[in-house]
Amino acid sequence: MTSMTTNTPKECSEFQEQLPDFFDSGGDRIEHPHLNTCANCSALVRDLNYIAAQAKLLMPIHDPSPAVWENISHALAKKPTAGRASEDDGAS
Amino acid sequence: MQSKSVPKDSKAIHKKSEPQVQSHDSAPVHARSKNTLRTTDASPAAGPAQPLAAEARPIQQQQRRNPPIAGELNAIALAQAGDGASFEILYNMHKRRVYSLCLRMLGNVAEAEDLTQEAFLQLHRKIGTFRGDSAFSTWLHRMAVNVVLMHLRKKGLPLVSLEETLEPTQEDGPRKDFGTRDLTLSGSIDRVTLERAVQELPPGYRMVFVLHDVEGYEHNEIAGMLGCSIGNSKSQLHKARMRLRSLLRENADGRADA
Repeated sequence: MTSMTTNTPKECSEFQEQLPDFFDSGGDRIEHPHLNTCANCSALVRDLNYIAAQAKLLMPIHDPSPAVWENISHALAKKPTAGRASEDDGAS
Repeated sequence: MQSKSVPKDSKAIHKKSEPQVQSHDSAPVHARSKNTLRTTDASPAAGPAQPLAAEARPIQQQQRRNPPIAGELNAIALAQAGDGASFEILYNMHKRRVYSLCLRMLGNVAEAEDLTQEAFLQLHRKIGTFRGDSAFSTWLHRMAVNVVLMHLRKKGLPLVSLEETLEPTQEDGPRKDFGTRDLTLSGSIDRVTLERAVQELPPGYRMVFVLHDVEGYEHNEIAGMLGCSIGNSKSQLHKARMRLRSLLRENADGRADA
């Protein structure tokens, strides 16, 4: 990162206000002239991309306790109509 | 959890059903061609047969996120025919991801277990309407998300704040970053740290972050689920990431000072 951080807070503010749309349209490859000259906003974009990338790697890590299936099976035993959704059951 | 952990009385739901399923509207997914399938929405209000939803993701995109699980199609077909053992197989295939989704959205173990239970009971009621237009896990997770959202609405919690935060305050808005710190997060986050930080997010932020960045939903889908605008969803996501960055930087700074 060379010859950066010459931007004014106003330029940074305007850039950062548009970031949600930049991320939505550009994914992790945001190209904007401001990033060529602003180390701070470049670091911000890198960090936000990094957070989004790490979030995608979060895996399901917890199993529910055995009591969950026990409760489900008890409930189903009382009402054994498997796979028969009522058409007027929509609000459930 | 394996079948052996099933309580004895759960056998009551294991009907001696016919594995052969008739080819009608509730026919199993393997009995029909993908080309002739119609979308079945997993939302609570979904009826048994819906036209193809405009916002439906391409099958390939859904399957990248939720690849088919070996034996799943057969278990779905048998569960649709009322076979309790197959329903239990489906539970064991998907319980971890459904529970993790509930836990991340709610941040509370007891509530997450209650809603996991509710999601699978709803699955049991509606599995006959699954037509295979999307990956089964996508359909099930959408159902679980709806269960969580309904729960939160009943509690009068965070969905309202989605609109409130459209007008950001100094406290909860997306703070602008004009600092000159050269510290970047790259390489400094481990999974546990990120999980903790996500749990520290305000509920409305956490909801959108989990749905978009962890679960992979698009903004138009999230907007539909939460009843907010697409712009609002984008805005919430950005605020969530900004807040996470702040939390993770504090964490990194704390470790550096220690």
